[in-house]
Amino acid sequence: MKQYQVSAAEKKFIGSHILVAVLALAVGSLFGPLQAFEHAGWDFYVYLKPLIKSYYQGLTVHGVLNALVWTTFFIMGFLTFNVIFGLKRPLKNPVLNKVGFWMMVVGVVVAAIPILANEATVLFTFYPPLKANWAFYVGLTLVVVGSWVEGWGLFMTYADWRKENKNERTPFIAFASLVTVLLWQICTLGVAVEILTMLLPWSLGLIEGVDPQLARTYFWFTGHPLVYFWLLPAYISWYAMLPKQAGGGKMFSDTLARLAFWIFLVLSTPLGFHHQYVDPGVPPAWKFIHAILTFGVFFPSMMTAFTVIASLEYGARKNGGKGALGWIGKLNWSDPSVASQLLAGILFFFGGIGGLANASYNVNLVLHNTAFVPGHFHLTVATAVTLSFTGISYWLVPYLTGRKLWQPKWATIQAWVWFVGMIVFSNSMHVLGLLGAPRRVPLNLAPYVPAEWNSRLFQVGLGGAILFVSGLIYLVVIYKTATNKERVETEVEVPIAESMQDPDSGPIWLDRWSPWVYGALALIVIVYGPVLFDLIKNIALTSPGFRVW
Amino acid sequence: MAKKDKEDNEFRPTGTVTVLVIFVITLIAIWGTIYMILVGRGGTL
Repeated sequence: MKQYQVSAAEKKFIGSHILVAVLALAVGSLFGPLQAFEHAGWDFYVYLKPLIKSYYQGLTVHGVLNALVWTTFFIMGFLTFNVIFGLKRPLKNPVLNKVGFWMMVVGVVVAAIPILANEATVLFTFYPPLKANWAFYVGLTLVVVGSWVEGWGLFMTYADWRKENKNERTPFIAFASLVTVLLWQICTLGVAVEILTMLLPWSLGLIEGVDPQLARTYFWFTGHPLVYFWLLPAYISWYAMLPKQAGGGKMFSDTLARLAFWIFLVLSTPLGFHHQYVDPGVPPAWKFIHAILTFGVFFPSMMTAFTVIASLEYGARKNGGKGALGWIGKLNWSDPSVASQLLAGILFFFGGIGGLANASYNVNLVLHNTAFVPGHFHLTVATAVTLSFTGISYWLVPYLTGRKLWQPKWATIQAWVWFVGMIVFSNSMHVLGLLGAPRRVPLNLAPYVPAEWNSRLFQVGLGGAILFVSGLIYLVVIYKTATNKERVETEVEVPIAESMQDPDSGPIWLDRWSPWVYGALALIVIVYGPVLFDLIKNIALTSPGFRVW
Repeated sequence: MAKKDKEDNEFRPTGTVTVLVIFVITLIAIWGTIYMILVGRGGTL
């Protein structure tokens, strides 16, 4: 069956997102290994002066470019593709989407200037009372608002489709992408309020002080669902594309997949206090409620794990896979897109376990602000998400450019090198955290490092070096693909796995937006409202800004 | 189509269940280890 044809202009527009994302990844990834090398005692920052002045400036560049820019641009590009391709129609108002995209680009440039000038060395969490130059906050605001505008363009496209298809089920990839966009629009209200009501006026000198506790609460309103904004696009690929790529599998349950996305929408925002267990301004009862809700997210996560693995198993068994685990060998490991996503999924198992430990009210006390935390999120955002996105790009870039993937073997090697490097890096970071090593500290300079940390710190550096090699291979493969003179003979087929179950046979309430949206908003009001009301009523804009770099 | 549907209906994801059982056992082991570290450090009432 002939697939829907995405226009050349739309391919270019989606490709522009991927280009900015990869550029951000390229620059940001230069600084990742520098943090790891510093831990191992190899301080390269001394050679980067005066361009990069400190470990913390490098960490800020790494965090902002990799965790915020690479992800947001790739996601908006991929979701735009999913909505167009899934609904089989062009964007309703492409100018609006272009405005959103360019707002994001301008935002990145505006934020990058103070970061590179060492005027915004506040890390990617930008907690006050660390005070950045106003341009940093303006830049971040533009990136977020630009992504909102792009999201509005996608909703308008969906509204048009719905008018013409009143009784149709929304195609899964479009449905899941729109839920992800909506989640983003809801959760980013936290940082929007934080920046517009406190940080920006504060940085411009319009108010003298800031309330760090309220700012942290606003930040984590956004900060944890941000993780799901990163993860859900990877899940879309795992649910609806990977089974087809990995061996002709089908999506095991369309109903479970849709239900999981709705539960993520409802539960992913009202749980930010699990990042604030040791904050003094939040009553313990509310922290406990957020802890329970955090464990609630375990259910859609397990539904996702079950459905995705079952979808893969179905294809593998059709291809002759046997045994309780032997079928895994029958998956299409030689395809770099598949290998990347399977390896991402394997390490995500451990990321999920670490996440549950972090989210436990008591156990968190062992891990809070230790190296365990970056060890954990390098398994989630830097592997489950990033390795999935690089895997997606191995078919998406040839699809968008019409050029053949350059040296697929090298692309597969890249995924395996990342997998090995991340095992070495992340495992040592987890162990260091359990031994009490703090995060966000240039440990090479710390006078209190005991001898028992040394071998692990070396492994952090070693892992960083391996990851650096993988990052370089990825950039070479993508560059050589984008400039490859060898073109694909026919348009690359978009891998869409059909569902085992007819989507029309699923419950109709899974294709109705209002109960889920109202439910999500109501839960946010219930579990955030009282604490925010109290914090705002007792607001203390008394803390001056600090520049500690 | 009928053959396909039969294949689908007969599919039992036993391998998936195995993988998830391994996951849960690993989860309990790792979480328990960290919990024992917490307990080992003593209470702070």
